[in-house]
Order: sequence, then structure tokens, then C-alpha cells
Amino acid sequence: MIPALPIASPGPLRGAATWFSTLGAMTRKELLIKLRYPLDFVAGFIQVFLMVAIFTLASLMFARGGPRATGAGSNIAGVMVYGFVVFIFVTETLFNIGYNVRREQKQGTFEQLYLSPASKSASLVSRVLITLLSTGLLSGLSIWLMTALVGNLPFANPALALFIFVMVLAGTFGIGFAFAALTLRLRETAQILAGFLQFGFMLLCAPFYPFKVLPEAVQAFTRLIPLSYGVDAFRSTLMGYPPGFPELASIGFEVAVVTAFGLLMPAVGLWLYRREENHARKNGSLFEH
Amino acid sequence: MTALALRSNFGAALAETRLRLYTLSRYPAQLAMEILIPILYAAMPILLGKASAGPEAAANFLGNAGTAQYAAYLLIGSNVYIVVNRAFWDLAYWLRYEQETGTLEAVYLTPTSSLTLAAGVALYSALRSLITSGLAYVIGCLLFGVNPFQGNLLLALAFILVGLVPVSAMAFLFTAVILRVKEANSLVNVMQWGVSFFMGVFFPIAALPPILRFLCWLFPATWMVNGARAAILDLGFFFDSWYGDLAILWSFLLFLPLFSAWVFQRVENNLRRNRGLGEF
Repeated sequence: MIPALPIASPGPLRGAATWFSTLGAMTRKELLIKLRYPLDFVAGFIQVFLMVAIFTLASLMFARGGPRATGAGSNIAGVMVYGFVVFIFVTETLFNIGYNVRREQKQGTFEQLYLSPASKSASLVSRVLITLLSTGLLSGLSIWLMTALVGNLPFANPALALFIFVMVLAGTFGIGFAFAALTLRLRETAQILAGFLQFGFMLLCAPFYPFKVLPEAVQAFTRLIPLSYGVDAFRSTLMGYPPGFPELASIGFEVAVVTAFGLLMPAVGLWLYRREENHARKNGSLFEH
Repeated sequence: MTALALRSNFGAALAETRLRLYTLSRYPAQLAMEILIPILYAAMPILLGKASAGPEAAANFLGNAGTAQYAAYLLIGSNVYIVVNRAFWDLAYWLRYEQETGTLEAVYLTPTSSLTLAAGVALYSALRSLITSGLAYVIGCLLFGVNPFQGNLLLALAFILVGLVPVSAMAFLFTAVILRVKEANSLVNVMQWGVSFFMGVFFPIAALPPILRFLCWLFPATWMVNGARAAILDLGFFFDSWYGDLAILWSFLLFLPLFSAWVFQRVENNLRRNRGLGEF
């Protein structure tokens, strides 16, 4: 009788080196998928061009002299384009990180991901890197376009603006992880919720207009959302704090809120994701869709 | 075609409409979003304009767009856009949706043509978008302090209804492109912003350079939105009279459905011969 061979248990792979190696592999996989759909990438660029052109033309309708007016309100252009940059990162994060879990469920590759002993957090973070790359390119394009359409944008305090932006991004990725957790629970309804969140952000965090145009009651609610401080601090810093900016609080307070948001939210998001994942595994609903 | 065949086709188209409406009734949140979206879409330039121009907002808008009623102008634009956009999403994405849900084969096994079923989808899309955008227009006007019942609403509705047929036909033409290229989401996403730009959703197309203006005139939705704005806000028609502009829309209506059907059938036959219809 042939003795049975011992089978190694495929426990989770541990250690920083393994985690980074998994991250690299997952990022390569995500990048490969992106590269297989070049039309998608080109379409993204055209879409940004059209969005910027439409909202710029709309805002120029309110300028004396209309679209032919030169340098029509560079502060307003700054409010809009720097807000737009934060907006596309938030949107991309919600859909690329949060909703990607749903995509894996739908195309039937979620099981493979869970059967491999690789870190699940690396899988989530890999989507962050791709988002950074593609959305960064789109943001650069939108700034260039806006400059071409309305003249030079105000550009001050780049180092502090970069720090605020990194913190906003970190916090936004945390929201993405939390949304991925919610996707595991809500499944198809998550897409509708993503739409609501996107519009909620557009309305309450004022990426396309100053906060002062919102009614007082709405502004009070806006002050409860950390991302609002991120939008306000980022664009006010880049515009060199013109009169009336930042609008929600002093810049010191806004930077403190944004820093706390950027440091805490990713940890909270990952914790929520792990919690929801365990809940789904216990209930056998992880692969349901 | 005999009267019996006509009746059967009409019944099949209506069945498709009913099926879609039944599916939609399962997702009331989608309808709520559709009422909210055009209001928010118009709210952004309204708020931005108020912030940038302050008390001069109305005067500046009058100088640039021909009316001081900027909230109504932008709301008409965003609501007509939703009607047009809906037609593109529903029709252009129609066969792709069937492919993704695995029901495409069942659709092709039914004893009716894909053109008949597309007509049913177009009817469903028109019903859905006219109801939601009508509600969104009234709610938006009330929110921004505009009278929603001002102007010649019947004439505005005539422009929208006549324009919907060629717009749906264009969307159907787009279905053929999607069947061929497959990447439906990207194409429809770009298309929805392209539609919004070329119809002049938030600005008069006179603000664009001559070449772009010419391209806008080739797009039926431009005539729809301009006709609706001219009828409600007493702005100028492209041909100085409502019947001149409506005649252009009628010419689109006579030409585009036939052209789209011809192109679609050619692409469809080609894909069926080359076994590419079920692939995605």
C-alpha cells in the first residue's frame, strides 16, 4: 500500500516582501486588463475633454463678453478645474476600487482570488495604483485643456497643495475600500448607491463651484464631511488664498482635518472590508450575485 | 406587408415595451435618480454662474445667450439632454445588454425582426424619459424659482416628439457600431458627453467656431433643444420661424430611420454570417 503524501496546507502568505510581490502581480494583472481595452482608455480622454469644454463654455456664458472674453475669472476657473481633479479621483475610486469587487463577482473570477493564498488587501490596493496612473493622466489633461480654454490658472504653494492632495487621495482610497465592503453586502444595488454618492459629492463637496453659493443649511451639513475640507483646502492653497478662501475654516484647521482623514480612513476602510468579508464568508454569500 | 403582419409586428413591439417597463418597475431608485440627475446637472452651471457673476449673472447671460432666464435655459438643456441620452443608452446598449444577460439567442429565435423589437425599445425609452424629464423640469423650475408653465409648451413638446424619432434612429445606428466594436460602455460614455456638447446643452451653438457649428446642425438633437428653448423662452429659431426648424426635423425623421435600418441590417447579417453576434 502506498502511503498518502502529506499535502501542504495553502495558508495565507505573510510578510512584507510577499505582500509587495502580490501587489506587483495584481497591479500587472490590472494593467494588462486596461491595456486590452485601448478604446476604453482613449474614450476616457475624449470624455474628459468634452466634460471640461461643456462646463467651461457654460461658466463663460456668465462672463461679460462670453466665450470670447479672455481670462474670464481665473479664480472661478481655479475653483472649477482643481475641484474637477478631486472629483475625477473620487469617482474613479468609487467605481474602480469599490465596484471592481462586483465586477470580479460578475465575471466569475472572485472565487479564484479567494482561493489563492495571496493577501486580499493587496488585491484592493493594486486597483489604487492603476487608478493613480490613469486618473493622474486624465487630471493632467484636464488642467492643460482648461488653461488652453480660459488662460493661465492660478498656481501657488505647490508643496502644501501636494501634501493636501496626497492626504485627500489616501482618504478617498479608504472610502473606496469601505465602498467595496458595502458592495459585498448590497451587490447590484451598490451601483445605484455609487451614483448617489457621486452626485452627493458633486452637490455637497462643491467641486465645481464655491461653497458660498450653497444655502446655509446645506453648508452646515457640508462641514460634517471631511472631503469638503479636502476640496476647499486643495484649491484654496493652489489659488494662493484669494479673499474669501478657504471658505469652510482656517487653512490650519482644514489641513488638520484632511491629514486625519488621510491617515485614518484607509485603515477604517480596510477594517470594514475585512469585517464584511468575514461576514460574507460565514453566511456563504461571498460569491452570490 | 399584410395588415395581419403589421398587427403582429406592432404587438411584438408593444410586448418588448411592456417587458422593459415591467423590468424598470423593479428598480424605482433608478427612476428617482433620473429625476434628480437633470436638476443637479443644471444646478452646477447655475451655481457656478451665480458665484462668478453675482448680481450681474442674469445680465451677462442675456448678453451671451439671448435670455436673462438662465435657470430655465439650463434646465431645458439638461432635460432635453436626458431624453436624448436615454434614447442612446436604451437603444445603443440594447443588443449588448441582451448579449451580457445571455438572452440574445432567445431574442433572435423569436419569429420577429430585430427592427420590430428595437421599435419597442425606442417606445419604452421615449415613455420613460418623457415622464422623468417632464417631472424633473417642473421640480427644477420650482426649486430655482422659475415658472414651469411659461411659453409655448405645446410647440416645445412638438419639437421634442418629432425630434425623438431621428434621435432614436441615430441611436440605433450606434447599436451597429457597438455590435461591431463591442466596447459598449466606453463608446456610450463618450457618446453621452459628445451628444451634450453638440446639442449645446448649456450654451447656444453660436458660441462655437463655424466648423463645429456646422457639425451641430447635422445633429437632430440640436434642433430639438433649440426649438424647445425658442418656444418656451421666446428665443430665435435657426430659420426665424418654428415651421422652418420643424421642417428640418421632419427631413431628419424621413431620412435617418431608413438609413439606420439599412446600416444595422447590413452589420447584423455580416455578424451572423461570421458568427460574431454572440461573442463578447
